[in-house]
Amino acid sequence: MLFDLSAIDERLRSHRHGLPEADFTVFYHLLSVSGNRDIMLKVALSERDLSLPTVISVYRNANWYEREAWDMFGIRFEGHPNLFRILMPSTWQGHPLRKDHHARATEFDPYTLTVEGQHREQEALQFKPEDWGMQRQSADADFMFLNLGPNHPSAHGAFRIVLQLDGEEIVDCVPDIGYHHRGAEKMAERQSWHSFIPYTDRIDYVGGVMNNLPYVLAVEKLAGIEVTGRIQTVRVMMCELFRITSHLLFLGTYLQDLGAMSPVFYTFTDRQKGYDVIEAITGFRMHPAWFRIGGLMQDLPKGWDTLMQRFVDWMPARLREYERVMMENSLVRDRTKHIAAFDTANALAWGVTGPNLRATGCDFDLRKQRPYSGYENFDFEIPLAQNGDAFDRGQLRIDEMRQSLRILQQCINNMPAGDYKADHPLTTPPPRERMLEHIETLITHFLQVSWGPVLPGNESLQMIEATKGINSYYLTSDGSTMSYRTRIRTPSFPHLQQIPELMRGGFVPDLIAHLGSIDFVMADVDR
Amino acid sequence: MTYTLTRVEDALAAENDRYPLGERQRVEDPMQQQVHRSVFTGKLEEVLNSTVNWGRKNSLWPYNFGLSCCYVEMTTAFTSPHDIARFGAEVIRASPRQADFMVIAGTCFVKMAPVIQQLYDQMLEPKWVISMGSCANSGGMYDIYSVVQGVDKFLPVDVYVPGCPPRPEAFLQGLQLLQDSIQEERRPLSWVVGDQGVYRAEMPSQREKHRDRRIQVTELRTPDSI
Ligand code: SF4
Repeated sequence: MLFDLSAIDERLRSHRHGLPEADFTVFYHLLSVSGNRDIMLKVALSERDLSLPTVISVYRNANWYEREAWDMFGIRFEGHPNLFRILMPSTWQGHPLRKDHHARATEFDPYTLTVEGQHREQEALQFKPEDWGMQRQSADADFMFLNLGPNHPSAHGAFRIVLQLDGEEIVDCVPDIGYHHRGAEKMAERQSWHSFIPYTDRIDYVGGVMNNLPYVLAVEKLAGIEVTGRIQTVRVMMCELFRITSHLLFLGTYLQDLGAMSPVFYTFTDRQKGYDVIEAITGFRMHPAWFRIGGLMQDLPKGWDTLMQRFVDWMPARLREYERVMMENSLVRDRTKHIAAFDTANALAWGVTGPNLRATGCDFDLRKQRPYSGYENFDFEIPLAQNGDAFDRGQLRIDEMRQSLRILQQCINNMPAGDYKADHPLTTPPPRERMLEHIETLITHFLQVSWGPVLPGNESLQMIEATKGINSYYLTSDGSTMSYRTRIRTPSFPHLQQIPELMRGGFVPDLIAHLGSIDFVMADVDR
Repeated sequence: MTYTLTRVEDALAAENDRYPLGERQRVEDPMQQQVHRSVFTGKLEEVLNSTVNWGRKNSLWPYNFGLSCCYVEMTTAFTSPHDIARFGAEVIRASPRQADFMVIAGTCFVKMAPVIQQLYDQMLEPKWVISMGSCANSGGMYDIYSVVQGVDKFLPVDVYVPGCPPRPEAFLQGLQLLQDSIQEERRPLSWVVGDQGVYRAEMPSQREKHRDRRIQVTELRTPDSI
């Protein structure tokens, strides 16, 4: 499948290790699920001729990726049916990820909105079916165009989708994203390696430290840091805990979208219990930014295991109850069984990963296939389902929570002893004891804390199995204190792109059920 | 107490006017001036006004509107462990036309700003805005091309809740502060009777109010134990 596609502005890069002359590079990251192997193709482009043929006919999901590359870099893909801006408003000037585009809002005049500007923007937001090759009527019906979002209770954030309706039936639909674009990739080019960590938390904002992991691992690869067993295990433990709280949020909102009001009250009660543990360990609830390059922010506090054990003991009965009350409920079943179903081939064609892929019966979980951070040492299973419908996607996540609880139990039982920071000169912030030796070590410490570590010029990529699918960070370092280019591949982006194909011929309530079952947050789409 | 006055007439917009519309001026409490006119009607108006405000502040209907991470903490405040119903604000509305206040919970994006403005315009008076989280307050950690540096660049904000994200408890405190300020408000009792200005009380800053107490804390708990 086409795993990722984006570009790099090469114009200011000095460490290029024998790469051919290029002003821009477009890269295609292909992943084979059966062979468990990757290929990355890079195409060098010169500034004078920034265009490439589109690959949509081979990979359907290239559509949005190419639009994104156009929006962010101004690279044209010849033959693309709708090469419009995707993340930035259509009235925007410039291509933000080019090195000559400003990064800060404060480098610019402060934002103002005038009455006239408001009219203009609203005008630009108007949906014009003709742009998308849609008919306004067929032989026997006038279609209705229904605008759902950017603010709709079941759109899970700032997401807009325009439906072409024939009565209740969805003839076609166009998802519109970019209402949540926070420029995280540009931000990475301005923050030191260390100070970018808090931004990763806010990519998949219900995944907490889970987001730190791929970034930190990728940086550690660049720096050549090996971490201790304790660090690995603590990281796995915190990630799995966040997987549970994220899935609980999913479960509550998924059922709420189906019309069941109370589950969200129950699952949020459980989330609260999870957060009590998270807060005791990391000191923060949603965005702890607790992992560090080469370690953790601090060691586990005394008494963490009792707290964690309490949570692990609390959950199984609740999960059983959710199954009994909700998943075995005939209304829920009627609303979700065989709704928005797709098979493995379709999932791979669209770049679907994570629980949504496994709900089609495809056994691909990076924790087993490409173990990272010591997952190979744990005993757990990968739940699978068969039908790939909205029901399976819900049920599968309940099963995943059970497995995560198993992992947590193993962490409690076998937490290795050891340091919470790796013994390596690039560990940031460096261990304190090392600072207090003499003036020379003090200066090094000071530089590393104020400027941040300098990483060798190279590239690294790390994927992990995040809460919603495969999340990867592809870092390009130019031998400085900041990243040259950080590409963040998020799972929800392709998941939303797949919607029109699944919904054609469906009904509006099916769409709502499907939106609930995808499990996306907009920050994970737009970054 | 000083008040900020906005008049309805001022809000009739010309094309190149900037949001927030309407001129704001600082004035003295209008009720105090009434008292000078007649002790009896002055008292009556005071009682009437505070009864209406009491009703308003205890049945605030929030608009179900979320932008990003902060929204998750806001929903957490709505669910049972925090139970926003204690403050009479559990009737979440999906339509801006039925809502009393809007919480800008999350980052305010350049692409989203015209949409937010539209939704705000669709809300009926009396309406209030809580800005929740650093992003909505000032852009927070996102000083980046696609983010508006604070929602108050175009919306009139009543309460700012700091945090990234603020805890649900902080949001609830923000809600209570909004209630306090509604209690002090002076609004026309009818759209045909009397002065048509909206007088919002200028409430004291919480930071200044609590500073003395806060800086007296000398012993902080270590994070080594739970
Ligand atoms: S203030 Fe923090 S938590 Fe809230 S929306 Fe902004 S980044 Fe997210």
